[in-house]
This record gives sequence, structure tokens and C-alpha cells, in this order.
Amino acid sequence: MASGKSDKITEWIKSTQVYKAVFRHGYEDTPRNRSLTTFSNVLYHLHPVKTRWESIRFRYTWCMGGVSLLLFVMLALTGVMLMFYYVPDVRRAYQDIKDMMTVVSYGTTFRNIHRFAAQGMVATVWIHMTRVFLTGSYKSPREFNWVIGVVLLMLTLLLSWTGYLLPWDQLALWAITVGTKMAAATPLFGVEGPFGTQLGMRPDNDVKFMLLGGTEVGQNALLRFYVLHCVVLPMLVVLFLAVHFWRVRKDGFSGPL
Amino acid sequence: MKDIDETITRRDFFSLVGWGGIAATFGGSAYSFYKFYFPNVLYETQKVFKIGKPSDYPEGLSEKWKKERQVWVVRNERGIYVMISICRHLGCTPNWFQDKQAFLCPCHGSIFSIEGNVLGGPSPRLLWRAAIKIDPTDGQIVVDFNHRQDPDPVSTEQGLRVDEASREVEPFFLNV
Repeated sequence: MASGKSDKITEWIKSTQVYKAVFRHGYEDTPRNRSLTTFSNVLYHLHPVKTRWESIRFRYTWCMGGVSLLLFVMLALTGVMLMFYYVPDVRRAYQDIKDMMTVVSYGTTFRNIHRFAAQGMVATVWIHMTRVFLTGSYKSPREFNWVIGVVLLMLTLLLSWTGYLLPWDQLALWAITVGTKMAAATPLFGVEGPFGTQLGMRPDNDVKFMLLGGTEVGQNALLRFYVLHCVVLPMLVVLFLAVHFWRVRKDGFSGPL
Repeated sequence: MKDIDETITRRDFFSLVGWGGIAATFGGSAYSFYKFYFPNVLYETQKVFKIGKPSDYPEGLSEKWKKERQVWVVRNERGIYVMISICRHLGCTPNWFQDKQAFLCPCHGSIFSIEGNVLGGPSPRLLWRAAIKIDPTDGQIVVDFNHRQDPDPVSTEQGLRVDEASREVEPFFLNV
């Protein structure tokens, strides 16, 4: 299809300084060039220089770690979009979500992407860990990374749970009521937990009080869960993800023997 | 038609359809990203509103709606126009001085005449006039705050001004 002209255009694009500044190496398939591509490219630099072919076989990993990351990125992006319309105010929160689902253009789409990606992420993280467990990939030298992984599982569940409260409907209210009631049963720090009362815990000074910012689920609780959901927990996840991926590179991919 | 048969092969056609589909997907999602940020419902004061019947306004300037809707209603010997109380310099709210028969902006000293012409100060443009019409059912004046008259002023010794006859046109003027 008019190849002469398009070839010329391609040639011209490749000769511009902008192109050369972004794509520094050609496609010459030499070992030196392949190493240079990896060493000097931001995206490729995230990957290890060498990977064993068996360890990236689809039926070994099922891509569950990668899918979890993909879902996390999608959640971060759509989450920021939802923040444009959502206000964590008990008088507005429910109405804002309702508006998002009815009158905001593509609001339904982006909110549902956020919801379903969140539920998907909980599932993929579990499947990822099950695979790691069943293939024995948690064993030495990867014990430390297994621990990081468990922390990431906890953060995933906490993100899911803190996001639950934000629509401020009946489901959210009672879920947080139940969840924080469990916090009250924490040993030592909860008023209903073992040794709680002996240590002077009361409903107005224990860990549940700190979580809710009060003795009942109200405005303070909504604001606290919002900040945890949008700022604190995502930042922790990014931090632990960085360590997680760094350890994968340092310890090497596991793979079938 | 012969040319097309020779230049577009089956492989090219499917490649075009494939890449076209990918482009449509990316284009469509880019559009949804863009559209998302334009709210369809606003929780702010109405920008199209009624201000009562023309007979409610005797000759002169009325500040009745200035606080609530940010407009002045003016009747001269020929009819009624509605002026937006936003200074065209940096958007402050000027005040009407009956004794001076002028609007003075408190921030940087722009001076406007009752017609909206600039008599002095830094303002580079005349005051806006809002579109008005009579509601046929109840005879009230309907103001559209977002539809504004903004003519090119001529620089004179007295300041920036526009020939009044050219400004007193529909939908910015009511002959009542």
C-alpha cells in the first residue's frame, strides 16, 4: 500500500532528533545492542537482564503477580478519577456516588472498573500466593519476599475494606461497624480484648476509637477511612511493591527444576 | 476501482481493520476520559433565571439582583438591558455611585459609565451585557448569564466606548 511514500515518512521520523533522543538504539540484533537496550531503557531496566525461559512460562505463573500489578495501576488511575466527584462528607458521600452512577458521563464505567478491579485484585493476589506456595517458591532464598508478599496481601485486604465504607450506604455502615467491633477485641489495645480493661482501655481510648475517630461510625470515621484508602495504604503498597520487585530481581525468578 | 484492487491486498485490509479497531478502542477510551471531567449536573446558582416583569423597573439603575445574581438591571428612555457586575480588568465587583453616575471598581480604580463604557482606569474592555428575553407564559424577563455581549470598543479621549445604537440589539436589549 503506497509503500514508497510511507517508507520515506518513516525514514524521516527516525532521522529527527526527538526520535533519536527517545529511541537510542536501532533494532540490530546483536548481543551488545540487546544489553544496551536493557541497560539504557527505563521500562526494560525494571526487568532483570536475564530471565530463564521456563520461569516465565504462562502455565507456571499464570501471570497472577503481573495481573495484580496491572489491576493496582488501574485502581490508582480510576481512583484518582473518582476523587474528582467524591467528597467524604456524610451529607454528600452517598449522593456523590449516586450522581456518579447516574449523571456523570462514563461515571458508571469508571466506578465499576474501580470496584471490579478491586475485587479482582483480591482474587489475583490470593491465586498468586497459592501458586507461590504450591510450587514452593517461598523457600530459601525467597523467604523474605514471601513475608513482603503477606504484607501486600494484608494491605490489599485493608484497601478493599476501607474502600467499602466510602459510598456511605447501609452495606458500608454495617460492614465497618462489624469490622471495627473486631478491632475492639484486639488483645491489650481493644476494650473487649484480653487484658484490655486491665490496661485501662475504655470505649473512648482504645484502638477502635483511634480507627473511627470516635465511639461510633460517623463523620470522623468516614474521613479517616477516606485518607487511609486514598493516601496511606496506596503509598504503603507502592513502597512494599518496590521492595517486592527488587527482591524478585535479586533472588532470581523461581521456576520448575 | 481497478487501482484499489491492485493496491489493497487481503493482508492490508485485515491489517487496516485490526489497527483500526485498536485505534477506535484507544480513541473511545480517550474520549470517555475527557468527557468524564465535564459534569452534567451542577450544584450552583442558576445561570438562566427570571428577574420579574419589565414594569417592575423604573428608569435608572436597579441593584436588586447584584448580591444574589451579580447583575444590574438598567432602564433608559428606550428600553431595558442587564449588565453583569464583573469588572473586565481582573474580575472584581464594581460599585454604583449615584452622585457620580458611574461604576467604580474598588480594586484598581476602573471607572465605567451606566452604559458600561470605560471612563478611566485599567479596564481593557467594556462591561458585559447579558442576553435577555421575555418569557411568553408569565411575561417575566429571563436572563442568560452565560450568553454575553462583548463588542470591540473604540478608544476615544473620554475612554473606551461603543456606539450605543449598535449595542441596543436583541437579545441584549428589550424595547419595553
